[in-house]
Amino acid sequence: MAEEITQEQESENLFGNERKSIALTPENSKFTRSKGGLISLELTNNNDDNGESEKEFFERIVIFRCFPITNPDEFLSVREPDSKKMGRGKEIGMVRYMKDFPEDQRKLFLEELDRRYFSPEITKINSVKEKFGYTYWEVVTNAGSMTFILSNPFSNIRSLEDGRVFIHDIDGNSFQIKEPSKLDSNSFKKIEIYV
Amino acid sequence: MELLYKMPGRDSEILEKSLDGGKNEKIMYCLPFNMLGGKFVKGFTVFTDKKIYKILDGVILNIYDIKGSSDFKTEVMYGSGGFYAKINGKTTLICQFVVGRNLPRYAVMVKACEILAEKPDDEDSPEPLENKTPEKFCPVCSRPFLYGSEICPFCMKKLDVYKKLWAMTKGLRLAMFFPFIVAGIAILVQFLMPVLQRHITDVWLAPRAETNETLNKLFQDQTSTGFWGFNPLIGFGWLVLFLVLIDLIQRALGVSEARLLAIASGKFLMMLRTLLYEKIQTLSLSSIQRRSTGDLMTRVSHDTGIMQHFIIREFPNIFRQIISLPLAVIILFAMNWVIALFVIIPIPFAIFIITRFWGFIHGKNKRMWMARTRMQYLLQDILNGIRVVKSFGQEDKEIAKFNSFSLEFSNQSERISRIWSTVWPLITTFINGSVYFIIWYAGSRVIRNQITLGEYNQYFAYTNIVYGPLVALANIPNSISNFLTSASKVFEILEETPEILDIDLPLDIKIEGDISINKATFGYQSYNPVLESVNLEIKAGEMLGVVGHSGSGKTTLINLLMRLYDVNEGEILIDSVNIKDISQEALRSQIGIVLQETHLFSGTVRENIRYSKPFASDEEVIEAARIANAHDFIVNLPEGYNTLVGEKGYSMSGGERQRVAIARAVIHNPRILILDEATASLDTETEKLIQDALNKLSANRTTIAIAHRLSTLRNADKLLVLDKGKVAEYGTHSELLDLKGIYYKLVMAQREMAHQIVGEDGEAG
Repeated sequence: MAEEITQEQESENLFGNERKSIALTPENSKFTRSKGGLISLELTNNNDDNGESEKEFFERIVIFRCFPITNPDEFLSVREPDSKKMGRGKEIGMVRYMKDFPEDQRKLFLEELDRRYFSPEITKINSVKEKFGYTYWEVVTNAGSMTFILSNPFSNIRSLEDGRVFIHDIDGNSFQIKEPSKLDSNSFKKIEIYV
Repeated sequence: MELLYKMPGRDSEILEKSLDGGKNEKIMYCLPFNMLGGKFVKGFTVFTDKKIYKILDGVILNIYDIKGSSDFKTEVMYGSGGFYAKINGKTTLICQFVVGRNLPRYAVMVKACEILAEKPDDEDSPEPLENKTPEKFCPVCSRPFLYGSEICPFCMKKLDVYKKLWAMTKGLRLAMFFPFIVAGIAILVQFLMPVLQRHITDVWLAPRAETNETLNKLFQDQTSTGFWGFNPLIGFGWLVLFLVLIDLIQRALGVSEARLLAIASGKFLMMLRTLLYEKIQTLSLSSIQRRSTGDLMTRVSHDTGIMQHFIIREFPNIFRQIISLPLAVIILFAMNWVIALFVIIPIPFAIFIITRFWGFIHGKNKRMWMARTRMQYLLQDILNGIRVVKSFGQEDKEIAKFNSFSLEFSNQSERISRIWSTVWPLITTFINGSVYFIIWYAGSRVIRNQITLGEYNQYFAYTNIVYGPLVALANIPNSISNFLTSASKVFEILEETPEILDIDLPLDIKIEGDISINKATFGYQSYNPVLESVNLEIKAGEMLGVVGHSGSGKTTLINLLMRLYDVNEGEILIDSVNIKDISQEALRSQIGIVLQETHLFSGTVRENIRYSKPFASDEEVIEAARIANAHDFIVNLPEGYNTLVGEKGYSMSGGERQRVAIARAVIHNPRILILDEATASLDTETEKLIQDALNKLSANRTTIAIAHRLSTLRNADKLLVLDKGKVAEYGTHSELLDLKGIYYKLVMAQREMAHQIVGEDGEAG
């Protein structure tokens, strides 16, 4: 049994040579489109001891927002993908402001973030039916028409102080409404009782 | 779980064309994908034994070779899931899908693609994988099944529910039938009364010439010969007496109906609850944990109550109304079709308005209900955390927060009361509109002497029969649907087959205590294994220590051994018998467990110790408590072994509870003892006491001990280090130290910590 575990894995498992998360700036990191259409990172590590720098290449990285709702363009956590943890691997570093990076790289960020954060905006609510303990919704979103189901509107519809509304359905889909009061009056009436 | 979806015509046509000769390439799986480029789409990912095709609206978007690809994986993202693979060394997002429905399917694809990618070219393609995880969505309408069930409330056959109910009412049918008889009689009386009233008005009371003549004649006759040999007033008296009699009979029936109903409904409810509770007790742990405690509690107390109310109260009522309404309309038509028309024309409008109003009020009620729930949540949240609030000095903020919630609630309820008190009378007035017409129409006919006053009254009586139940009638669909939901929720539990079942002739073996686990693989979701091909061997009487991080699968290992869950692959043998062949009762009665957090049931200390052996003598109880080092503190309790513990009783410290639990295990006298971090939450002093008790308990028994503190495992014959669900190290203490692996590092780390503590103590001293 024990032979199967290599020395390297072991050290990761326990006290591990944990990678130290660093600040990612346009100076030390370059984000490029990966050959598979995703996002790669070329990182320059400066060694403080001898002043030398070494380059590191990540074929694919994943980006998480620390504050996806309140501050989506700052504090981006850049990580290695890890299939064991549903894709959430070790943190390579953190991007403080997305705007620090040149436009082509910002575009890449947004592409990756749009893939990862899929929360279409509801523009019209056609019907809301409550039956057998679920509510059934038929809506039009900026990503097309959709029907979805909520198990408990009270806990699955979350209104923020700034008026935005987030809806999480039983399938793990997410929807949002920027300003419920700006929906047409029929749609607004349907969401009104939940917000 | 469906892994081979059927594609619409054009999609499968385009696929046929591009398949390699049609024969050499076999379609293995076909799954939907749901998102592309930030839009919702209805596409399909087809997996053949060679390639992956991504098809959308009759167009093949991409073709990927499975051969030469690797690192297939799924990722859960925000609002979607992704299926990724390394195609020719480049990580690619193959497709995005709705997580809830499709993640388990794509998780199977990860394994399927790995198999296909590794298959040598000359070998035949393997059979498609199957996945037995039950669907959570109705295959017909794709709506979710009722929680934790396979009932689709939209597609279920309502007749089935009624049939099942009918079968359950055995023995109560007479009592349940009685209300219908009473209802029949009530309807009869209801319709007879207006006729009688009319007779009284027209024949006896109406101030008409001919009536007076008849009466006068009767009076004269009475004084001389007598019509019935009575004074006509006596005749009228008889009539009134008859009315009284009818009334009495009706009331007597009503009383006996109510009494019978009370008995029947009580019995029905009790039977239903008992059945349900028995069933919940026999269900496997996994299906109980899948539902929340609250959910099960509502089913036992609330849903059964709704069923009872409907069957016993509402159903006879509905029956009564459904018969009497058309009957009244027919009679009205027979009497005068103009009036009848005016009575029925407003009915559809009235029902429409009432339903709309109910809907409106329902919405408002819901808002009020939500405001109240929010207020209660807040209250509970803050009261539970009152120490934090006080210690951070946030009282004012919390008061303001509560006030705003409370204000919202009071605003909502005020609004509802206002609406209710103004709108409802308006609606009733509208419904009664036709009554005013009848007053005018029938009244003018009375004046013109076309109908009698009695007939006039009779019209109104029947009109009231029509309009009376209208409000309730509008609510019938609602109460039927509520009832059906509750009933199907109850039946769902009653009909659930426990996931863990005894085989037909389970063995009742006497366990010696040899345990061997062969290649056991298990995951709470089959696509996400928590334990992967675990092997181990314990001889009877030996002690195995299990070490590992939290989440490494230690507790799962024990759950499997107790057969709270069944392994997905591999087998677990006790005394060389597969535990699936041993009866669950025999198995669990010979395994004892001491958990980290012990639950003591409400009752006395003695009852808690005797839990697994209710007739243990007092000597045995004391003996067990002594072994558990619990005797001394129990005797010091105010009422000794008779002290009440649990929610209402004496609150014990963690260490005390733990020792009671050990005593409970001692009296159980199991062949296999499991200690799941039994000493983790205790201070060193108490731990010593308990460790001592445990050592006594584990002597000569097969013992499996999970521990964070390695010192508790020094008596272990073998040690098992679990890491991410796999056996990382396995052997004796000294073997593992020599290995200089995880165990070695853990020992060193804990030793160092111990030294530091000792060192600091020394300095302080």
